[in-house]
Amino acid sequence: MSMATKVKLDTAGSIWKVLVSQGDSVKKGDTLFIMEIMKMEVPHEAPVDGTISAVHIAEGDEALEEGALAIEIS
Amino acid sequence: MEADMSWEKEAEELASKRALAQEQGGAESVARQHAKGFLTIRERIDAMLDGGSFQELGGASGDATRDSEGRLIDFKPANFVLGFGMIDGRRCVIGGEDFTLGGGSPNAAGLRKSVYAEELACNYRVPLVRLHQGAGGSVAGAGGSSAGAASKTVGAPVNAVPRFKSVAQALATVPVASAALGAVAGLPAARLVASHFSVMTEASQILVAGPKVVERALDKRQTKEDLGGPDVHARNGVVDNLVEDEAAALSEIRRFLSYLPPNVWELAPCASADDPAGRRAEELIEIVPRNRRKIYDMRRVIDLVLDEGSFFEIGRLYGRGLITGLGRLSGQPVGVLANDCRHLAGSMTEAGARKTRRLIELCDTFHLPVVSLIDEPGFMIGPDAEKAGTIRFGTAAVLAAASSVVPWASVIVRTAHGVAEAAHFGPDGFVVAWPSAKLGAIPVEGGVAAAFGREIAAADDPAAERERLEEIMLARQSVEPRAESFSIHELIDPRDTRPVLCNWIGRIQPLLPRLTGPTSFSIRP
Repeated sequence: MSMATKVKLDTAGSIWKVLVSQGDSVKKGDTLFIMEIMKMEVPHEAPVDGTISAVHIAEGDEALEEGALAIEIS
Repeated sequence: MEADMSWEKEAEELASKRALAQEQGGAESVARQHAKGFLTIRERIDAMLDGGSFQELGGASGDATRDSEGRLIDFKPANFVLGFGMIDGRRCVIGGEDFTLGGGSPNAAGLRKSVYAEELACNYRVPLVRLHQGAGGSVAGAGGSSAGAASKTVGAPVNAVPRFKSVAQALATVPVASAALGAVAGLPAARLVASHFSVMTEASQILVAGPKVVERALDKRQTKEDLGGPDVHARNGVVDNLVEDEAAALSEIRRFLSYLPPNVWELAPCASADDPAGRRAEELIEIVPRNRRKIYDMRRVIDLVLDEGSFFEIGRLYGRGLITGLGRLSGQPVGVLANDCRHLAGSMTEAGARKTRRLIELCDTFHLPVVSLIDEPGFMIGPDAEKAGTIRFGTAAVLAAASSVVPWASVIVRTAHGVAEAAHFGPDGFVVAWPSAKLGAIPVEGGVAAAFGREIAAADDPAAERERLEEIMLARQSVEPRAESFSIHELIDPRDTRPVLCNWIGRIQPLLPRLTGPTSFSIRP
């Protein structure tokens, strides 16, 4: 089994929407979740095809740091 | 030939010293360097330069040991290799520490050669390339003499020229590009950052002082990677760029120098312009979303506007709300300043402000016109931003722009707000805007909350009242009345951005030769 691909927060901010759940299969480029910072929506896309193996964020999470682990895809 | 008529013996000794110098720290030491995945300094210089172009200076300098009859029995080369060479057919001075000799910590002749590099570049008015891997001074002195063997005269003469004067002069007169290719500590670290462009590899560290010194003073045990690896120094602006390996570091230095003149008295070399100046970019008509909460890719805008493939980004990993770099328009090298709304809405943080000022000063020093693509909501706000001193560093960037000496073209892509907005326009600049532009003292949402707080709170439906006021204010920030009032030069179709900027490049050509020579800066906040 290959290592999970880790999707990290590309910016500080809060989680506005989470569009995937554990077990979902995703294609590269699919939007996984949308952050909100300074009134802007910052979508985060899947870097690879795969299955969501872990979701570490939830809608409404606030004051998150850039680089925090958000989602794992295996 | 009679024996007493010839200098054959001396020539032989010289040849053997040169041969010993090529062996650097010896086969074992070189093997250790290679086993760690590092090249030696001589291999690095060869890889950096055009084939066979290295002209070494002081190639036979070092510590010689002789027997009682004066015959050479051992030779330890100077551990800084220095000389001239060609990069893409253009001359430069190049040098670096030899890590295979005493870990690059300077021996006597090595120290002299290392501090001579800047003087040489200044004297010959050519770029300086430094390839660093080494430590600073040793408590035992250059050459590591034992604690007991002290010379009668110690220290530099009282009237000696300060060692860093030539470092400062080099920054003011010739392009300086440096790479950290292993552990770089102390003096070499200071010289690494005294550069117009610096790059570090994943396997390098930059340290004021290494783990042993830190543990003794602070009782903290940390590895050199934790103290000064890429996670630290590629993200705080100590170096500009981070690359995978040594080959990539050398290639970035080569690329950086290609945009710059050899010195401040000459102009940057124009490349042949293969990309047509009149090329319109259809994609730009819909790249900025109408919904102001949606982001877009400013790097895509940059790529579509500049000569194809010409953008070289500098400082991508720090101050990420701002994008800085070099590029070309109709072959003319330009500095590029833009906002990335993906990061804190593109607002100017303390780090972003430092990055902005650094680009402006680079362009002023080497007389590169500046192209500014603006989506600036203002200085970053909030407790962290206040603690970081954003207002001081931001104002320094603003004043750098306001006193810039080169031509600027500014394109207002979306927002242009606050004091920070002023960091994106140069004096007498050419200013155009896209229809998506919104201008004003502060962004509508915060502005309405601040100015109409009481009215909103008193309304029957506060949310509706807020929205109503925001709509009114948003209309007032529209760019059309500004264009009609000749408050900007032109409102343009986004698709025409490249042709408009290339025309501007043509118009400013006669101005550039008059700019050459050293540029001076006054104090900034």
